[in-house]
Formats: sequence, C-alpha cells, structure tokens
Amino acid sequence: MKFKDYYQTLGVPREASADDIKHAYRRLARKYHPDLNKEPEAEARFKELGEAYEVLKDPEKRAAYDDVGKRWQPGAEQPPPGWDSGYEFRGGDADAGGFGEHSDFFEALFGRRGAQARRRAPPRAQDHHAKVLIDLADAYRGAQRGIRLQVPTLDAHGQLVLSERTLDVAIPAGVREGQHLRLAGQGAPGFDGAPAGDLYLEIHFRPHPLYRVDGRDVYLDLPVAPWEAALGAEVDVPLPDGSVQMSIPAGSGQGRKLRLKGKGIPGKTPGDLYAVLQIAVPAPATDAQRQAWRELAKAQPFNPRSEMGAK
Amino acid sequence: MKQSNLTVLQCQVVEEEVPMSLAELCRACGTERELVVQLVAHGVVEPQGAGPQAWVFAGASLRRTRVAVRLLHDLELNLPGAALAVDLLDEIARLQRMLQAGR
Repeated sequence: MKFKDYYQTLGVPREASADDIKHAYRRLARKYHPDLNKEPEAEARFKELGEAYEVLKDPEKRAAYDDVGKRWQPGAEQPPPGWDSGYEFRGGDADAGGFGEHSDFFEALFGRRGAQARRRAPPRAQDHHAKVLIDLADAYRGAQRGIRLQVPTLDAHGQLVLSERTLDVAIPAGVREGQHLRLAGQGAPGFDGAPAGDLYLEIHFRPHPLYRVDGRDVYLDLPVAPWEAALGAEVDVPLPDGSVQMSIPAGSGQGRKLRLKGKGIPGKTPGDLYAVLQIAVPAPATDAQRQAWRELAKAQPFNPRSEMGAK
Repeated sequence: MKQSNLTVLQCQVVEEEVPMSLAELCRACGTERELVVQLVAHGVVEPQGAGPQAWVFAGASLRRTRVAVRLLHDLELNLPGAALAVDLLDEIARLQRMLQAGR
C-alpha cells in the first residue's frame, strides 16, 4: 500500500489553514467534477480530491493522518506498526450522493464507509445506478446484453465485500443517449422484509465512425462523386441496421442535407436520418482523365469564388 | 468474488414511460424529500400536480435531480448556484450536440 499525500493532491502545504484547504478543494473540484469535465481521467482525479478533502477538512481525521504521515518511512510500502488502531470516527457526511469509493489507504486508516452507512438502516433498500455503453445498432434493433456489476454487499460476518453480478438485460429498441433504464427490484437487497431497491442503467452510445446522434436524429456524412452531385444519382446509404437507396437530386451542392424520414432511432415518434453530402473529387491519374476535366472546364465555365469578389 | 447469474430482465425506459412520485424520485436519487422540494422551488425540476403529495415528475427529472444533488454536495454549491449550473450544463450539452451534428 502506498502512502497517499493528501496535501499534494490538493496542492496545499502541510501547514495550510482550514480555509486554504477549502478553497483549494473547491477550485479543483469545479475543474475535475465528472458532471462538468467529460475527460476520461476527470472522475478518478475527482475521487482523489474528494478523499483528500474528506480527511483534511475534518480536524480529527487530519490530526490522525498527520500522525501517520510523520511515522511513515519514506518509500515504504508498509505502514508503521499499529498505524490503523486507535482512531475512531463517527459516521460522517461521506457519500451523500457523490461518486463514492475510497482508496485502500483511506479504508485502512479510517475504516469502511459502508459499515457506517448501514447503521442508519434505511426503511427501504437503496436504488443503485450504473452506466452502460451500447452500440447505436442496439438502439435500432433492441439487444440483449450481459451487464457485469460490482456491488458492495455485506457478507455473513457483516464485512463489506465486492461481489460481481451479471445481469442479462433486454435493452429496448428506441432507447436514446442519456436515458435511464429501470430494473425493478435489482438494486440493493432489502433487510427485514423491506423490498429491494431498483437498479437504474444510464445509457451511453459507443462512438461510431460513421454516425453522429442528436436525440432521435442520426447524421451521416455521405461522400458523393462530383457527377453524382451534378447530375443526380441513386446511391446506397448505410444505416445502423441495414441500408437504403436514396436519390440525390441533380445540382446538389457540398454539405446539402438530405433527410431520410423515420430512419433515425425508432420509437413512437421515430427520428430522422440526415445524409450530409460530401463531394469527393478523384485526382486524375491519366492523360485521358486530365483531358476529360479540361473538357468539362471548357464546357461549363464556373468560378466558385465569384461571391467573394475574387477570380 | 462471488458470482451470480440471472435470467433476462425486462426494463422500462424512465424518460419515456415512468412518471415518478416525489418518494420514488427521492429514492432513485438517494436524497431527502426536503431537498427535492427545494429543487422544485428553484425550478431545477418541474413536476405536474398541486402540492408534493400529488407531484408527478417526468422521467427527465431523474437526471437533472441527480446532477443537482451531486453538485450541491461535491462542490458545496448553494441551491441557486446548483440550479444555474444544471441549466447551463443542459445548454452546453445541447450546443455540443448541434456542433457534432454539423448544423
């Protein structure tokens, strides 16, 4: 186990005042809060900040931590003898809806939060939340997914242990990014005959190389040849769950959005799929091809910069 | 680590088909009734119905309430600050979707 330098985490000196600690925490917490910062490292960083602040804002915990810090050998992987005995803490304000979970270091020093929380014996078991990544095609077709969850539970000795549950969930077609699925009775188990809590799964789509999603609507960049855009064409458009033929009207310009009604995410009000035309120009490779482009330039004089007043 | 397996579970999409009572919303967000009443007073969520007993929350209230509860606790914000932050976060999400869709 590594010693955790909570002062360093918050970027404050050891002699920092309670106010300095509060200010440092608030500034960094705003920067790394997972609701505000979508970078993948933000959540882990935020948890560290929360843990450091939980210890340093509480004079008793801070004193205990400082005491252990003084006795910890530099570079040691092992804590000093007797380091985890003699500190007793009241069930505090940890875990009031935050992102939870402490490091092993914290738990060794201050005990496990779960044991404290359990003392208040809630009348009905808690609801649990988890995030699930699915593919866009799953939202079109519906899917059955095995979802592995690690849940803290109390074992026969009243110890908090992590157990793994696999749930096979029928994900309904038409589900959208950010929506929640409710699985009745799959949350925390109830005690003394109380009903179990519910499990909520927050849906997120795995990023897709072709499609962008906005609510029910789906966007696709569709490359077309210059002559297809100019003369019109029938082309195949790939959909997340198949493909469809679409007519490109003659005289279509770059970026033209063509709507395929009802081909977005299905539902009572299905979304639309928008194909955004991207004109792709092949580089001429032979003399005959270069000549053909020259003929075109002669046959159709065209200055794309005329509106800029440039030649 | 213990393992357990279960049969295929059916579920409901909260945002589409699950209007929630005050008690259900409190439990789903792991928070106290008083706090949700305050969030309603600050316009973070807007239930239908006259008075807390009759309140019905649309499914989208779940996400906004959870974000507000986290911000209140984690950032030590006050209620008007959390209400503003929730609105701004929704606006940022809307703009990001527009940007991504290329409009």
